[in-house]
Amino acid sequence: MAALLSAPPAQRRSRTATSSERRRDRIWVMALAVVLGVEILYFSIAVSGFFGGGSGLLSLTEQFLDVGVIALGEAAVILAGEIDLSAGTMSSLSGITMAVLWRQGMEIWVAVLVALAISGAIGLLNGLIITVFKVDSLLVTLASQFILGAVATALGGGSPPYGFPGSFVSIAGTGTVGPVPDQLIVFAVLAAGVAIAIGRTRMGRSLALIGYNRPAARWSGIRVDRTVVGAFVASAFMAGISGILVSGLYNAARNDIGDSLLLPAITVVVLGGVDIFGGRGRISGVIIATFVLGFLTEGMLVAGDSSLSATMVTGILLIVCLVFKIGLERRGGSDVLGAVRRRAERLRHLGPGAGAPPAVGDELP
Amino acid sequence: MSPDRLGAAAQTRGLGHGVPVGRARARRVRSPGGTEERVELAELGERVPGEAGTGRVPSAPGGTGQGGRPEAGSPAVSGWGAPARYEARSVTKSFNGAIVLDDVSVTLEPHEVHTLVGENGAGKSTLFKILSGLYTPDSGRLELGGETLGDLTPRSALGLGIYLVPQEPKLMAHLSAAENLYVGILPRRRVRLLVNWRQVHREAATYFERVGLQIDPATPAREMSIAQQQLLECARALVHRCRVILFDEPTSPLTTHETEILFGLMRQLRDAGLAIGFISHRLDEVLEVSDRVEVLRDGRLVASLRRGEATRDGLVSAMIGREIGVRTRVRRTSDVTERREVLRVESLTSEPIFRDVSFALESHEVVGVAGLVGSGRTEIAEAIFGLRAADSGRVAIDGRVLERRSPRACIEAGLVYLPEDRARHGIFSEVEITRNVTAGTIPRLPRRWGLIRQREEQELAAASAARTSVRMQSLEVAIATLSGGNQQRAMFSRWLLAEPRVAILDEPTRGVDIGAKDDIYDIISDLAASGLACLIISSELEELCLTCDRVLVVYEGAIVGELRGEEITAARLGELVVGGSSS
Repeated sequence: MAALLSAPPAQRRSRTATSSERRRDRIWVMALAVVLGVEILYFSIAVSGFFGGGSGLLSLTEQFLDVGVIALGEAAVILAGEIDLSAGTMSSLSGITMAVLWRQGMEIWVAVLVALAISGAIGLLNGLIITVFKVDSLLVTLASQFILGAVATALGGGSPPYGFPGSFVSIAGTGTVGPVPDQLIVFAVLAAGVAIAIGRTRMGRSLALIGYNRPAARWSGIRVDRTVVGAFVASAFMAGISGILVSGLYNAARNDIGDSLLLPAITVVVLGGVDIFGGRGRISGVIIATFVLGFLTEGMLVAGDSSLSATMVTGILLIVCLVFKIGLERRGGSDVLGAVRRRAERLRHLGPGAGAPPAVGDELP
Repeated sequence: MSPDRLGAAAQTRGLGHGVPVGRARARRVRSPGGTEERVELAELGERVPGEAGTGRVPSAPGGTGQGGRPEAGSPAVSGWGAPARYEARSVTKSFNGAIVLDDVSVTLEPHEVHTLVGENGAGKSTLFKILSGLYTPDSGRLELGGETLGDLTPRSALGLGIYLVPQEPKLMAHLSAAENLYVGILPRRRVRLLVNWRQVHREAATYFERVGLQIDPATPAREMSIAQQQLLECARALVHRCRVILFDEPTSPLTTHETEILFGLMRQLRDAGLAIGFISHRLDEVLEVSDRVEVLRDGRLVASLRRGEATRDGLVSAMIGREIGVRTRVRRTSDVTERREVLRVESLTSEPIFRDVSFALESHEVVGVAGLVGSGRTEIAEAIFGLRAADSGRVAIDGRVLERRSPRACIEAGLVYLPEDRARHGIFSEVEITRNVTAGTIPRLPRRWGLIRQREEQELAAASAARTSVRMQSLEVAIATLSGGNQQRAMFSRWLLAEPRVAILDEPTRGVDIGAKDDIYDIISDLAASGLACLIISSELEELCLTCDRVLVVYEGAIVGELRGEEITAARLGELVVGGSSS
């Protein structure tokens, strides 16, 4: 065997015989890219006013990149098998904090840094509560979502600050480099950073392993708690950045849109192929899913549909994708038909008298 | 027929005496179609040895009408539950083109324990799954009592009295033992919606007594040991009045003592006329308990031996298709002169599980830990490795006391831990072999600008996997595609990367077939020869005899004895682990 491994033929074979998991992840990302292409093509042809040339298309992205930035952080948390429901209101709080500090006379860019630091600190607090007291992240971040939202509303008061300096609005908001909006550049940098961090750093590597099998990660000497806290800090930090971008875009601090960012962000993460229970997933999928969902919403809005129907279509898209994805890549499955067949078989095995029901017993310690 | 009348009928048969064994009761069972109900009489005492000759009490007239199932009313099975021969004829099964069973015929006779042996992947479990209706054979047929069975499903198999006790008992963790016993068939009061819990618990207790399960019927399943869960499965088979019980490798998680209890029960069931199917990797127990042994190799039946004909060596060579020499133990203690202490554990205590545990390991040494499941042996190891908080005590590695123990700190200091439960605590089953192998040493992976260099990582993993001869298609396939033995080798290669001084190996050969077992012993002995100190925790006393220079015996959370060199025999260990004197 040793010879097999060191010999070149084995090496070559190892490249072709990649794990079916990885292959299916790749297929998923490619499928998303195809959907994105079809979607843009469809709206360009069918909806007048959607396709305003390359730059028009690019400028449309400003409308949804705030969701994408939150999704990048949320993806890290979900990969670790946790969830962060506070990301939406975190985004509001960050924008408000920045704006209030600026109105108090602080230099705007210093205010941005302070707001981001506070975001990170709140993420740290979230993570510590979750890991130290072993409370489910769903509950902790549900609670902090309310707290952050309330604080943001209180800080902003009746009329949140607006009218930021032009340099800020141009860079964080509506400015462009050539045809490319600044926000898109910021998103690209963040996305590349997160993708590399997840794929190639110690922390990212640990994160996915924790998501796959948390006890095994602990038994392998991975610092589970520390890594999970890190993911929450990352998520809060990204949400903070998103809040700054929102403020720049509207040239006003908004404490009212945080809630509406969270669920689209989670949708993007799941649509991007990240397993909601952790472990599997690629950031590239999340990035493409941001555009798939974003252009879909914008396209429908341009076409004159109400934002309600856009939301409804989002929901339908999510369900269709997930059903398809389960067929494609249910764990242990190798093909769609096989998955369906196994499912049918499992149904056949169910039934009270037919031996011990499967799955439930897996929870035994 | 009303339950009252059934009770009376039981009384007239003279079975109403001697609570609990002779208690008769009526219960209602839904037939598979759910359309009609049959009332059947369950006789708790019906399979007590001695009554076997008379067979089982035929159920009440309504009992044979089994709702349009093929066997209904046929003469061969009209004495529902009577001892019957169960045959598989020329069964063939393949998965994704790979033939797992090739024209296999076996016959399970009543009054016999029928054992299948073979290496992992030989097709034993697949055959049992076919026999119990979980899988459908590609060709071939199944016959029960001479009747050909149609499409068998787990449900109809149960109706026919065929029960599979799975490798890992699958109970509902949050339900009580009694509820698990009666899943789907809870006896109800006359007002049919209500369950008579007092009655349920009382009857469950009598079943538990019959299988030797000492437990309060209200205990939730998650609090039961694996051994207890298996006994509960046996009790379920009795509740369903089964005549064929298949045990898929039940003994691998059990200690010797628990195994003996299970064997006692198996013999009792056999003597009562049941056909017992059994799979095991432990040949000594196979020889001890089997009336007939059949050997599967690569999906074919290669040998069929009766009690007395089978020998250990004969089975082994039939299983692996070649002769192997009987393995002799390797003693390194005397050979090595240059030794130093690498692990010292002082008065480690974690009440109420274990207390005042002290021992030391020297380099080049293989030390065993023997003890029953629940004796605290795994917990001690987990406490040393920092997975479990200890009340007091110290651990020093290479002379340096570890103040705040955590797995990370232990690995850095040179201590690694191979967990007992590979699926839960060892492998990341869906992840490639590479990342599984490097998972224990992520901080040490080669990096540039903080980014892991994946090519070098792969080379590291390949080199380490080669050291333990992991057999695989490629490093990029999910580790779940490997056999148990190869997964275990991959786990060894994970820890080799950490360049450890001490390795705690918890059940290193669990779920590993015979050929691979020997390889793992070789790996251990190579590692020890290169200076590593190994602490082996094992339920298999023979394994400890084979590999260890020294064995510590743990009983109820304390080290109660230590054997060295030639003192280490399975008999002595067997005595000590159940609390016998060490004199």
